[in-house]
Amino acid sequence: MSVAEIRAKLVEDAAVIYPGPYLNQLRGEDVENQCQEFLTSGVRRIVINFEETELINSIGISILLGVIESVNHVQGLLVLSNLNASNRELFEMLGLMSHVEMVDTEEIALLKLTGEVGQAVV
Amino acid sequence: MSDTPSAQILSRLSRDEFVGRGAEVRRVCALAQAGSSSNAFLLGAQRAGKTEVLRQSFDCLFNERGQVIPFYFALRRSSVEPEEFARDYFSQCLAQFLAFRSNNARLISGNEPLALIARAASPEDHPWVTSLIDSFIRALESGDESLLVRCALSTPAAAGSYAKLNPLVMIDDWHLLAGTELRAEFLRTLTNRGSDESATYMLAGMQRMMIELIPPDGELFDKLEMIRLDRLGEDDYEKLVRRLAEARGIEIGDSTIELMSQQLDRDLFYTRAIVDAAASRGSRLQTFIEFERIYTSEVVSGRIGHYLDALFRDASSDARNGRAMLEASALLIEAGSSIPIDAIVERVTKYTSGHTVDAEALIERMHSRELLDASYGFVSAPGDPVLSDYVRAKYRSEIAGVPRPAAGEELLGEKLKHSYRLMMSRYNRAIQSQLIEVLSRFDFQSIPSSLFHHAAFDKRYRGMSRVQVRRALDDEPERVRLPQIVVVNDLGPVDEAGVSCRLFAATGFEGGIYTEANEVLWLVALINSKEPLDVETIGRIDQRLETAMSSERTAQTNAAARVVSWYVSKEGFSAVASERLANLQTNLQAHRSTYSNLDLIQDYMDKLALGGEARPATVFELVIPIEDEAELIAARTAEQIARAADFDQEAINQIKTALIEACINAAEHGDSPDRKIHQRFAIDDNRLIITVSNKGKTFGRADRQSTPSVAAQPVKAARGRGLQIIRALMDEVEFERTDDGARLTMTKYLKRPGSQ
Repeated sequence: MSVAEIRAKLVEDAAVIYPGPYLNQLRGEDVENQCQEFLTSGVRRIVINFEETELINSIGISILLGVIESVNHVQGLLVLSNLNASNRELFEMLGLMSHVEMVDTEEIALLKLTGEVGQAVV
Repeated sequence: MSDTPSAQILSRLSRDEFVGRGAEVRRVCALAQAGSSSNAFLLGAQRAGKTEVLRQSFDCLFNERGQVIPFYFALRRSSVEPEEFARDYFSQCLAQFLAFRSNNARLISGNEPLALIARAASPEDHPWVTSLIDSFIRALESGDESLLVRCALSTPAAAGSYAKLNPLVMIDDWHLLAGTELRAEFLRTLTNRGSDESATYMLAGMQRMMIELIPPDGELFDKLEMIRLDRLGEDDYEKLVRRLAEARGIEIGDSTIELMSQQLDRDLFYTRAIVDAAASRGSRLQTFIEFERIYTSEVVSGRIGHYLDALFRDASSDARNGRAMLEASALLIEAGSSIPIDAIVERVTKYTSGHTVDAEALIERMHSRELLDASYGFVSAPGDPVLSDYVRAKYRSEIAGVPRPAAGEELLGEKLKHSYRLMMSRYNRAIQSQLIEVLSRFDFQSIPSSLFHHAAFDKRYRGMSRVQVRRALDDEPERVRLPQIVVVNDLGPVDEAGVSCRLFAATGFEGGIYTEANEVLWLVALINSKEPLDVETIGRIDQRLETAMSSERTAQTNAAARVVSWYVSKEGFSAVASERLANLQTNLQAHRSTYSNLDLIQDYMDKLALGGEARPATVFELVIPIEDEAELIAARTAEQIARAADFDQEAINQIKTALIEACINAAEHGDSPDRKIHQRFAIDDNRLIITVSNKGKTFGRADRQSTPSVAAQPVKAARGRGLQIIRALMDEVEFERTDDGARLTMTKYLKRPGSQ
């Protein structure tokens, strides 16, 4: 089945990663590798934008937890954005809310990372 | 009692391959339990699996080691001479007794001399065994064959009495007693039931010959239990064929299995012969032509052909009768219906000139071996399609002089042409059965009228899903009050180019009052066509209906019964045809429905029968391979189904997420040998039930105690939380182990506006 490659971009000193329509093990590992590349190259502010992500499975979530840990480990900042209602429900159910911030849009996430928004919109 | 034995002793089929006969095995095993006082016949068509039922029953009782001690003996044509039979029977029964006593099945397999068998007896049993053998040897030395046979036959009863166990003696191929000296002694032994030393007998063999062996005035019939072994049902047959093919590594298509079911009439021997032949040639059975090639070759010169050769030889008392038998069979197949016995006698006599033969006796022997059916002066071909093919091919090669390979090719061509018609006729038969069932259930119900008025139905419900239609029908104000149907007659097919049509007459009463004034006749035309029915075809069917109406009215005592016509057309009706049918209402009430309407009528009647509390679900099935991201296909399917059932987007997303987790669990933990995940989606009025099953040892952790709150768990443990996610997103989740894997059933209830 064809699933779009993950995309990523740099906005000033922050990185934005788009996991694509289905976050499973395969896409999760791609996100993890992409994130690791950014961290290795010195990027410490990362947004994962789920606007294209229709479905997430538990394996994808567990990999995402690894990504959160990696970013925390290097004192970086990670914000999730654009989650649809059911994915947000899933994250809430699994207690991710206490480990990472979630905001409505990529713009808010970037502002949050640069400190221009004091309180993320959750 | 388990359905299948834990160890194979006499049975030839593995647990997997012994399908659909659990109930019969249980009945056989229960025969000799305390209190039972009957002997029994195991009756069934040839090759229905009687021998295997006996063998499986033996294994079952042997492994169970209960109060019943099993004995099994298969008569052989070569050993029906009294002395040879007695020696054989005595030594086998003794070996089986000692095997049971010592729980050592290996004692059964050998054909050891008596002295060697006796050595296997325990010190406790040894004196009794020695004395039994001594008695037998004395009978042997007496030269009295009746005494010898009696002595041998009494062995199971004597063993049961000695060991305080109930003996169940299963005799296979009992029909071979016909015309032998053993028959009288056997009958005497069978009537000995109830005395101090007795056994229960289970007899199997060719049913016509077996029944003839028992005197009609005998007391045996009074206490004779009949266990009937019917052909396997379609589901069991399909399961069996799949397992046979899987065990032999053969690819087989669903359509081929259906074709085999029709063409082989679900005959177990023929089926195994085909699958074995495919395996030995390394052929697949995916397509009709692959199947028909194997079939033709098996019938012309393979195992099936040799078996039927042997059956004909057995029926023939003289090799010179072969041609006469083949001529008789060919004549019956060609006739296609019963013909007077004189015509067959004439044909047989013609081809047996030159040697003396009793034609009627030959026909009788063919009847006994089920090569033809003779009854009340008429003879017909038996309903065995494979036998018919064999006879036609044999006739061509042996009598018409067509070389054997060419005769085989002719048969192959015929079968290929026939296979597609056979599948179509099966479909038509299924619809006919459905219509008859629906008519038979007419019982003054009030049914939404659009189901009998195709155009109105189309106008009202166009674009709606089946689930939505089912709900909307409840609210439809216009109703048709059905009569109560008493009898349904099949009036036969109507020949129409490009159209398959069959007429039925259903007679009953209206209004719940059984008077002549309330009598009604429904004339039904069931029409299968590729296009909506046009006005010309309707006209021709009308003529047939009018003729049918006249003859039905003549046949009825009340010629003034009201007549209603009902056209049920697969593809509906053209606009002009609909109009024409509507105009008919002036003198003849005419209903018109499609096959889909018929389905909904049945569905509505089911609902009424269940008191409106529940309705059978609409079911979809999906099988996906275990491979990357195949679960997305399942999720998309679930989305379409849930949307059609009016679930809101939030619920649809929850269902999709839960299903994805279920698929991942099935794939990760299932260890499934077929690398497939089977899914079933059932929608009824207020819920969607999804069943996900695999053939594996386990299904994630669902069978363990669930964790009450997913959110309460440490987030790091998210991986492996699939089942907790499912429980959180769905309303009900249930896990079951199945014979060959595991099944997860999850339910989502439809929340309608205003519901809690």
